[in-house]
Amino acid sequence: MKKTLSMFLSLVLLVGVLAGCSGSQSANGSKGGKDIDLRIWSFTDELKKPIKKFEEKNGVKVELTIVPIADYPTKLRPVLESGVGAPDVFTGELAFIKQWVDAGYWEDLSKSPYDAEKLSDQYIPYVFDMGKDKDGKVRALSWQTTPGGVYYKRSIAKEVLGTDDPAEVGKMMSSMDSVFATAEKLKAKGYRMFPDEGAIRWFAQGDAPEPWVNDKNELQLTDRKVEFMDYAKEMKTKGYTANAAEWSPSWFESMDKAVKVKENGKTVETNVFSYVLPTWGLHSVLKTNVKKSTGDWAVTSGPSPYFWGGSWLGVYSKSKNKELAYDFVKMMTQDKDFLKDWAKETGDVLSYLPVTDEIKGDFKDEFLGGQNNYQFFLDQAQNIKPGIVTKYDQQLDTLYGNAVKQYTDGKKSKDDAIKEFYMKAKNAYPDLTVPNK
Amino acid sequence: MKNLNRYGYFFIAPFWLVFLVFSIYPVALTFYYSFTNYTGSGTAEVVGLANYTRLLTDSFFVQAFVNTLKIWGINFALQMGLALILAAIFSDMRLKMKGQSFFRAIFYLPNLITVSSVALLFGILLDWQHGSLNVVLMNLGLISDPINWLNEPATAQISVSLILTWMWFGHSFIVIMAGISGISTDYFEAALIDGANRWQTLVSITLPLLKPILLYIMITSLIGGLQLFDLPMLITDGIGSPDGSLNTMVLYLYNQAFKYNNYGYASAVAYGLFIITVIFSAVVFRSMYSSERKQARQV
Repeated sequence: MKKTLSMFLSLVLLVGVLAGCSGSQSANGSKGGKDIDLRIWSFTDELKKPIKKFEEKNGVKVELTIVPIADYPTKLRPVLESGVGAPDVFTGELAFIKQWVDAGYWEDLSKSPYDAEKLSDQYIPYVFDMGKDKDGKVRALSWQTTPGGVYYKRSIAKEVLGTDDPAEVGKMMSSMDSVFATAEKLKAKGYRMFPDEGAIRWFAQGDAPEPWVNDKNELQLTDRKVEFMDYAKEMKTKGYTANAAEWSPSWFESMDKAVKVKENGKTVETNVFSYVLPTWGLHSVLKTNVKKSTGDWAVTSGPSPYFWGGSWLGVYSKSKNKELAYDFVKMMTQDKDFLKDWAKETGDVLSYLPVTDEIKGDFKDEFLGGQNNYQFFLDQAQNIKPGIVTKYDQQLDTLYGNAVKQYTDGKKSKDDAIKEFYMKAKNAYPDLTVPNK
Repeated sequence: MKNLNRYGYFFIAPFWLVFLVFSIYPVALTFYYSFTNYTGSGTAEVVGLANYTRLLTDSFFVQAFVNTLKIWGINFALQMGLALILAAIFSDMRLKMKGQSFFRAIFYLPNLITVSSVALLFGILLDWQHGSLNVVLMNLGLISDPINWLNEPATAQISVSLILTWMWFGHSFIVIMAGISGISTDYFEAALIDGANRWQTLVSITLPLLKPILLYIMITSLIGGLQLFDLPMLITDGIGSPDGSLNTMVLYLYNQAFKYNNYGYASAVAYGLFIITVIFSAVVFRSMYSSERKQARQV
């Protein structure tokens, strides 16, 4: 009796453990326990509404898994590698898109039945190019474009520059020299041009952008990028900024109110004139943090066009449900009716030209004092040169940003800061050829 | 009788199964990867000892090692000092402090907050322009210029150490209190009758008898300290700014693996970290055993 009881108990334990394992597997596995037809992974919740529409339209059930961006690549990679519990559709962000299109996780959309190649002239060129792998095959598509601009306060522009017209203000910032001239004018009236010198990093390349790493795997620190260190330093030392680093509490605070800055040993209150942000900066940064100055903003162009961020999506190459998966991708990127609603609802700037052509005419945003930011961003997007993004960019940008800060803070000389940047780059990517300086 | 023994295996089987799959297998796989140039996707090529020779000459790893020891050392000294002082006050027979359990809970609370919340909280408190700390210090007239705490290597390290102290002194305090309550009150009463003052009681009675407990705290804190990762990761830009002063060994490992995709090298870093931990623990263990032998002779 005792024996059977202990035998039984240990069996129960064992079964419990095994059931625990297999239970979680079937919940994530492709066979699915609850009749789920499609699994989607993303790093934001923005797909929630489209998924609802997709479910209603097709009579299917979709499961969305949201993983915060910081963990997204680390969580997704093992799943894609092993294929266990993998999504049928997943999104990718600019920071890792170059790695992923080449890794083969996304289905080749150039071949039939997808034939996505045919769409090439219907998208903003750089957006379409970003989704291609090194052999030129389309792996991922995007519904949005994320060019950047300079958001400024109209009231300050009127007072100091005599106009708040975006085109006029844009002219006053069309080159680095004119940016500094404008900054000087603003400073004379007690304003600060930018929150901090990091804001101008997008213009570091000037109008001749080069990729960080060329096809011979050599790290390229162009002269313009080196020059940028001086621009950043000048910006800081001449007091054109409010010393409010990006994403810091004071950075957010200065959007709406005056902030305290030190000047010649005295603390003064000052307002920040402009923020360098892309399309999404309007909706997820400015609008969520600004209360008082709503309607007092406008957007214009800086010294050179740039873009920041963006989501792409594609079909998992080992998905068992590719047809339905591509249907979803198609809806997100090519469905005219859906995209029109989407653009009006979210203000997202789309990359699908047939739709943007239709809506750009009478678009306006009250937050920007009724400005047609749609047309503006589309024009900016057309000027972005594709093909300069490499898989190293995000890390190298961070490391270089660090070096620039060391120099602008006066902790290191320019040469030492660059030398350290080279060392860190080599440490992170031993296969790169780094100049021997 | 012989038959009965078999059933024991069934009972321990679940543990071993889980342990094999989730602990032994990854550890062994990491060991294999440490000899390859695995990048997270595709196939891994065996490169022999290249990762280990690189580790030995890696100035960034050495810096990370020194940083980790510095941050842990400052934190440990302060944490133990604070915990001991508080324990001495609370266990003092003449003082008879009230509200012990209340204070114990208060001191322990910081330990229950997730590190991400702590990092966010102190990120705001230490913000150099609008952070409360600088505002308070300036209003008191202690400093004339705001200090950019997290932008100078020295202050950044001290800040992290102090935050860790704040988080962990309650834990040490509770363990020490538990240790003190294990000491027979006879010793304290005898000391009281012999006219020993508080300092003498602490140094000659409490501390020697607490030695095993203190060494236990030391070892666990050391092992935890060598794995310091989350706070330095969250409080600045995640790569150990300013000037690499918050770059700890595990943060370095994390960045090599998950940011730069050098999984092979990161595995070697993991084993380097393992060896360092073993050496340090062995040193502490030795001191523990030798001190026990001494005690045995004394008694």
